Amino acid sequence: MSNRKKVLWGIALFYMVVLVLLGVIFGVSGHKNNEFQIQNEFKLTNWVDLGVLSINRGVLYLLLTTILTIGTMMYIAGRMKARPNRVQTAVEVLYSLMRENITRGNMADDMARKWFPFIGTLFLFIWYANMIGYLPLPTNTEEKFNLFGVHIPSFALYAATANISVPLILALVVFLAFNFEGVRAQGFGGYVKSLIPAGVHGPMLLLIGPLEIVSVFMRLVSLTIRLFANILAGHMIILFMAGGLAVILGLTFLGWFTMPVAIAVYLFELGLVATLQAFIFATLTAIYIGGAVSHH
Amino acid sequence: MAVSAIATPVAASSGSFLISPNVGLMLWTLILFGISMFVLWKLAFPRISEALDRRQRAIEESIDAAERTREESRELLEEYRERLREARSQAEEIIERARRTAEVHERDTQAEAQARREQLMEQTRREIATETRRAIDEIRREVADLTVMATEKVTRKTLTEEDQRRLVEEALGELDFSALAPAREE
Repeated sequence: MSNRKKVLWGIALFYMVVLVLLGVIFGVSGHKNNEFQIQNEFKLTNWVDLGVLSINRGVLYLLLTTILTIGTMMYIAGRMKARPNRVQTAVEVLYSLMRENITRGNMADDMARKWFPFIGTLFLFIWYANMIGYLPLPTNTEEKFNLFGVHIPSFALYAATANISVPLILALVVFLAFNFEGVRAQGFGGYVKSLIPAGVHGPMLLLIGPLEIVSVFMRLVSLTIRLFANILAGHMIILFMAGGLAVILGLTFLGWFTMPVAIAVYLFELGLVATLQAFIFATLTAIYIGGAVSHH
Repeated sequence: MAVSAIATPVAASSGSFLISPNVGLMLWTLILFGISMFVLWKLAFPRISEALDRRQRAIEESIDAAERTREESRELLEEYRERLREARSQAEEIIERARRTAEVHERDTQAEAQARREQLMEQTRREIATETRRAIDEIRREVADLTVMATEKVTRKTLTEEDQRRLVEEALGELDFSALAPAREE
């Protein structure tokens, strides 16, 4: 048996022993906690009442996103060097990804020049919103904890994109953008005609025509739900595994069992899903805009 | 709004707020996204873009320059090789010429020596022949005189000019001088 295997077996054994011990100490028959509602972790509580523009944690996350988006890009833009250091190289790779792959890969060059600021910002904005969603911040004002007499809101994971409003309004802007671009390029009739696949005539038109029109509206829904549901589900799983499940079922020792899963999911979300969802949102936007001006 | 269609079925559950849009947050998103886009579009992206394009140009230029330099050095090398080849062929030509000159010179010298030798031989031969002829003539004269004298003693009379000549001719005709002359026929 190699050393690595020994270590892994050791860890597994230790893990099982502690699990059994915790089960014995706290007992397997817990009482269910019906008060704890995990979805309340995503509730928006207004902190500063400004009518419709009241500030809540969603707004805080959006503000952080904006500051990070503008701050990092301005910082990098202000000190672009001919011989880049590592940070600049990383940003340049990101920039090239946005400019070449996402934007230019899906539309003509003159259109890419025009639409790149929108698509690039979309990618960065969603990416930062997703990324800071994995940073625990003291935003849970419902549940405070006492630290040397100071009542500090509990640290919580939240993401602006885990609230449906943010992806929805962004998807709405995208929806307006590609329809606007399509109508401008081909005229209203031409644009509607271009939505229907070539070679569809007569009675088939009655069947396929409405379907295609509906599918354009479905883009709005799918863009929204894809981003929102992915981020929300990721946070939910992390919360459940990091203790939510143990609290609800009243099985304290279960927390020991689910915590490693929470860590694995956390890393997966942070390392892949956050970036992937931002990439998909931006790429689909580029595809929709690029597709709106071409005749099918 | 399109989402209200999917929001309705679950509206009764306690988690309905999760999928009911919050207008305030949407407005905030719109405002903050708009600000972000404006700043990036006007300030950040052009600078990054420009820096990247400038670097791209610089790289292209240095590649071009490197290629030019390589081309030049290749040409230079070719030129040097050409010159070296020329120099070598010239050197060979010079050596060849020198050898030819030497050969010609040697041949000339030999021919000259030969000619000179032959000339000397010829001269010697001529001198020998001349001497021989002179000696023969002297002998003839002596023989003629002796003949005349002997004849005068025998006949006790002075011979006329005509007799003398005849006698001499007869006497000389009987004598063989060929043994005295140099071996011409050989």
